[in-house]
Parts: sequence; C-alpha cells; structure tokens
Amino acid sequence: MKLEVVKEKPNIVEQTIVPTYKKKLQVIWKYRWQFGMILPGFILVFLFNYMPMAGIQVAFKDYNIFESMWTSPWIGFDHFYFLTDSEFWRVFSNTIWITVLKFVVGFPAPIILALLLNEIKNNTFKKWVQTLTYMPHFVSWIVVAYIIEAFLSQSSGLVNELLVYLGMEKYYFMGSEEWFRPIIIFSSVWKEVGFSAIIYLAAIAGLNPQLYEAAIVDGANKWKQTLHVTIPGILPTICIMLILTIPSLLNAGFDQIYPLQNPINLPVSEVIDTYVVTTGLNQGYYGPATAIGLTTSVFQLLLVVGANQLSKKYGNTRLF
Amino acid sequence: MKISKGEKAFGVMNTILLSLLAISTVYPFIYMTALALNEGLDSVKGGIYLWPREFTWINIKTVVTNPLVQDAFLISIARTIIGTIGTVVITGLCAYALSFRSLPFRKSLMIYFLIPMLFSGGLIPYYIQLRELGLIDSFLVYIIPGLLNIWNLIVMRSFFENIPDSLIEAAEMDGANPFTIFWKIVVPISMPMLAAISLFTAVAHWNSWFDGAYFVNEMSLKPLQTYLQNILMNADAAQNLRQGSAAAAASTDAAVAAASRSITPMALKMAVVILGTLPVLIVYPLLQKYFVKGVMIGGVKE
Repeated sequence: MKLEVVKEKPNIVEQTIVPTYKKKLQVIWKYRWQFGMILPGFILVFLFNYMPMAGIQVAFKDYNIFESMWTSPWIGFDHFYFLTDSEFWRVFSNTIWITVLKFVVGFPAPIILALLLNEIKNNTFKKWVQTLTYMPHFVSWIVVAYIIEAFLSQSSGLVNELLVYLGMEKYYFMGSEEWFRPIIIFSSVWKEVGFSAIIYLAAIAGLNPQLYEAAIVDGANKWKQTLHVTIPGILPTICIMLILTIPSLLNAGFDQIYPLQNPINLPVSEVIDTYVVTTGLNQGYYGPATAIGLTTSVFQLLLVVGANQLSKKYGNTRLF
Repeated sequence: MKISKGEKAFGVMNTILLSLLAISTVYPFIYMTALALNEGLDSVKGGIYLWPREFTWINIKTVVTNPLVQDAFLISIARTIIGTIGTVVITGLCAYALSFRSLPFRKSLMIYFLIPMLFSGGLIPYYIQLRELGLIDSFLVYIIPGLLNIWNLIVMRSFFENIPDSLIEAAEMDGANPFTIFWKIVVPISMPMLAAISLFTAVAHWNSWFDGAYFVNEMSLKPLQTYLQNILMNADAAQNLRQGSAAAAASTDAAVAAASRSITPMALKMAVVILGTLPVLIVYPLLQKYFVKGVMIGGVKE
C-alpha cells in the first residue's frame, strides 16, 4: 500500500509484463475494502428494487398467492382491461385534478413567501416566521388529518363553531365531494410552503448586492427591485424546481389523501395510488393492481426523461 | 434612503400577513393540546380555543396506560433508533466507497444505484417480494428495506467526494484500512452532514405509517403513526382506546369514576396525537439547526 503512491513510474513498466486480466484483478483486490462496503447496499438494492422489477411479470400472469409468480401461467394483457374501465379513468382524472391544482397553488406559494420574507428587515421576526412555518413539514400526514378533523368535524369542529356563531348552518365538510379538493390543496400548501421556501430564500441570499445598488442608483423602488433584480435572479432556481415537479404529475400524495378518504368523498378522493392499494392489497387483485402500477411507472419514466431533456435544454443542468 | 408611503404600508401588511401565516402553523397544535387536556364532555360544548377550561390529565393518563398505545410507542422508538443508525451506517459506507474516483466499475455501480430512482416495480411486486423474504409481520420490515436510501447515497457521496484526498492519503500511508479511515477521519469531518441526514431519517421513520398498516397485521407490532391512522379511520379501534377507562369508571373512588365517565373518543384521540407529535416537536429545534444545511446539500445535487 505504502509504495503505490511513490512508485508510479515503475508500475507502468510492470504493466507491459503482467497480463491485463491479472492487472485488473490486482486493482480489484486493492479495492477489496471498498467493495466490501458497497456489498450490503448492493444486495439491498437488488432485493428491494430490482427483484420487484422482476415481479412486474405478475401483470402478465395468472398469479395466485399459493403459487410462485415464476411458475404461474402467462395470460398476456388480460390484466390491462382497466384501460377500458370508466372507473379507472375517473380515478385517473381525480389524480390529475389534484396534482394540477396542487401545482397551480402550491408552486408559486413558496416563491411568494420567500419574496415576502426577504422584505422583512427585523431579523428576529424573520427567524420566528421561518421557524414556525417550517415546522409542519416535520409532522406526519396522519397528524395533519387529525388537525383537519379537529377543525372541520361536524360535532365540535372550530369552523362549524364559527359558522354557528355567524348564524349559519353546520356543515359536514369531510362528507362532501366539493370540499375535498380545496381541503387537500390547502393542507398541502399549509404543510409545505415554509419548507419549500428555503431553496428560494437561499437563491435570493446568493444574489449579488451590487445589482440592488445599481438598481437603487437607477431610481428603482422596492417593487421595481423585486421585479427587475430578485425575480430574474432566482429564475434559474424556479426553472429547476418547475422541471422537478413534472415527474410527480401522477403522484397526488398517497400519505395525505388516504387518511382523509371516506365513502362519501370517494368519488373525488380516489386517486391512482390509493386505487392500487385498495384493489391490490385490500382486495387481493394482484394482477390488475400490478398492471396499473406498471402503467404509471412507465408514464412516470417518460415524464422524468422528458423533464431531463427540458432541463438540459433550458436549465443547463441534468437531473441525472 | 427615503421610504415612500406605499412601501411603509406594504411593510405593515407584510408583517401582518406573515404573522398570520406563522400563527396558522402553531395554532392547530395549541388547539389540540387544549382539547387533550380538557374534560371530554365539556369540550363538546365548544368554546375551547387556546387553553383547557376544565383541566384534566385523565385523557393523557388513559392513553399512556393503554397497553396498545404503549406497544405502539415502543415500536416507534425502536424503529426510529435502529432504523436511523442502520441506514446511516449502511448508506454511509456504500457512499464512501463509491466516492473513490479510481474505483473499478465505479460508473456501472452508480448506474446500478440510480436506475431505481427512475423506474420501480410498483407496490404489489414490492409487497410480493417482502412476503417471499418473510418480512411480512416482522419488525424487520420497518428496518431492512430502508437500510439503503438511494437519495441519501447520492447526497453523501457528493459530500465525501469533496473531502481533500490528502487527508485520506496521509492515513493510508500510516497503513490504516478504509474502515478505520472512514471511522476515524471521514465520519468526524462529515458530522454536520451526517447529523442532518440522521435527523431527516429519524423523522421519516417516526412519521411513517404505511408499512405498519399494510405489511404488518400483528397489532402489538404496529408503530404509533399506524395506530393513529387506525383510530382515525376506524371507529371501533377508537372505542377500544376507552377500554382502559372503562375499568376506571367502575372504580370505587367517586372522583376517578366521574372523571373517567367524561372521557370522549375525541379527547382521547387528541391525547394520542399529542403523544405522536411531541417527540418531533422536541427534536425540532435541534433539527432546525441542521436541516437548512441538509436542504442545501440536496439542492446542490438537484
């Protein structure tokens, strides 16, 4: 080990004498410790990421739990009948509705919050606001579901108390179709807006102060400075974050939605992820559920590749 | 510099708006704490906003003496501690080895680790695999599948790559093997990054409920968040929470009996939520010190 660093040149001479495969084995032997460190991770990824990929065959097989998936008979595309099922397309449209609405409201929100925080000159106040708004990010979606219940419950919810105080009727928000989406969108913004703002705050902090000085010399007020210095300055960050949201088009947020589902809101609250869990894990239709999962995985892969192309073209960076 | 009237008005509005936002994030926790510490029957009347009106510990007491809640709490603690240490060690070692620039097959190995970020087999094949490995209904299902976190692997690897080679080479000269170097040199200088990743991993472990709900049937093996999900969505399970208090209601001590009769499912639920949130809120100040850094490390890679 000691000599390798010092004796680089004699090694090159040796290289011509020692056969290449032996040389290669020597290099591998030299890194035996490193390979030992990689081995557990390698096996884990094989078991929990690559083996499930092999399990995709269940989508094309008549699989039952008493037989191995390797020996089950092939049945072709029978499990893909869901593509002709109107139920599936309703679930699909529910998913798109939620992700698009989340994007429309949830994407600009942290940018606006970062811009507003940037205007606060009192550092103590700024720090407090940041500390408190980051906090919900670390709370589980289950707890958020309880918060929603505590506020909206028909019997004792705060909101209903307020409605009664204002002389209105009590309303069962969680038992209505039209309120489900607003509740999902609002709670996800509430939970993530502060934390998502961090990246924009960092981008703003990294802007060159001379740009602002120049703008002030040119007579720009605060609003003009924001419009012509801050926003163009953080535009690259905004673009990257925009591209990063593309792959999650089919990901409505299982952890958030599932705890809020009930029979009444199911027509709007059933999304692809929850549908896969219900048909696959609850009802045991492994084949169709795998087929749905495979379809979304492929679609998602296309979205990621597309997003990567976009970021190569416009962001000058690659995602992978 | 002169401040115009418009700017002044904006400053005031801005302060009010941000204050409201900040309040909206803490208020739900204050409200739920007040409900958990108030007599259940009294809460139904409404009017509890900031602090309990009829203060009582009985909800909290009923909940923490419930054997199911105790089990769930211990499972959550165990999975958080074991899972976090395991993940940071396994992923950290793997990331460190992959950070050697002259490692043979380095590129192929990285591709091997990156492909699962782009494509996955989906939930059902994953479930079948867990079953074939015998992990269903086992505590290990919380730990083993998460031991290698690919996202953390990337973040850690790019951090380790920036450690000056001279430090490592000097130790190699002294004849130290890569394990020793990792433990004695790399870990100490990577402490802020490792702390950030550990804290994030710990919070994720504490908050996760799905694996407990679908990969484990045994009630005593379910973590607290799954238990919470269970009593949220299942009224019968919420009724079971009261079993502890049923015994108290029959108590000869009139005061205890009266207090326990006032218990409502809602008050008990709030008490469990407090129990499920408190650990995160306690480590939060610690977390806050590190997570901005953590987001930055992740952000660079994005």
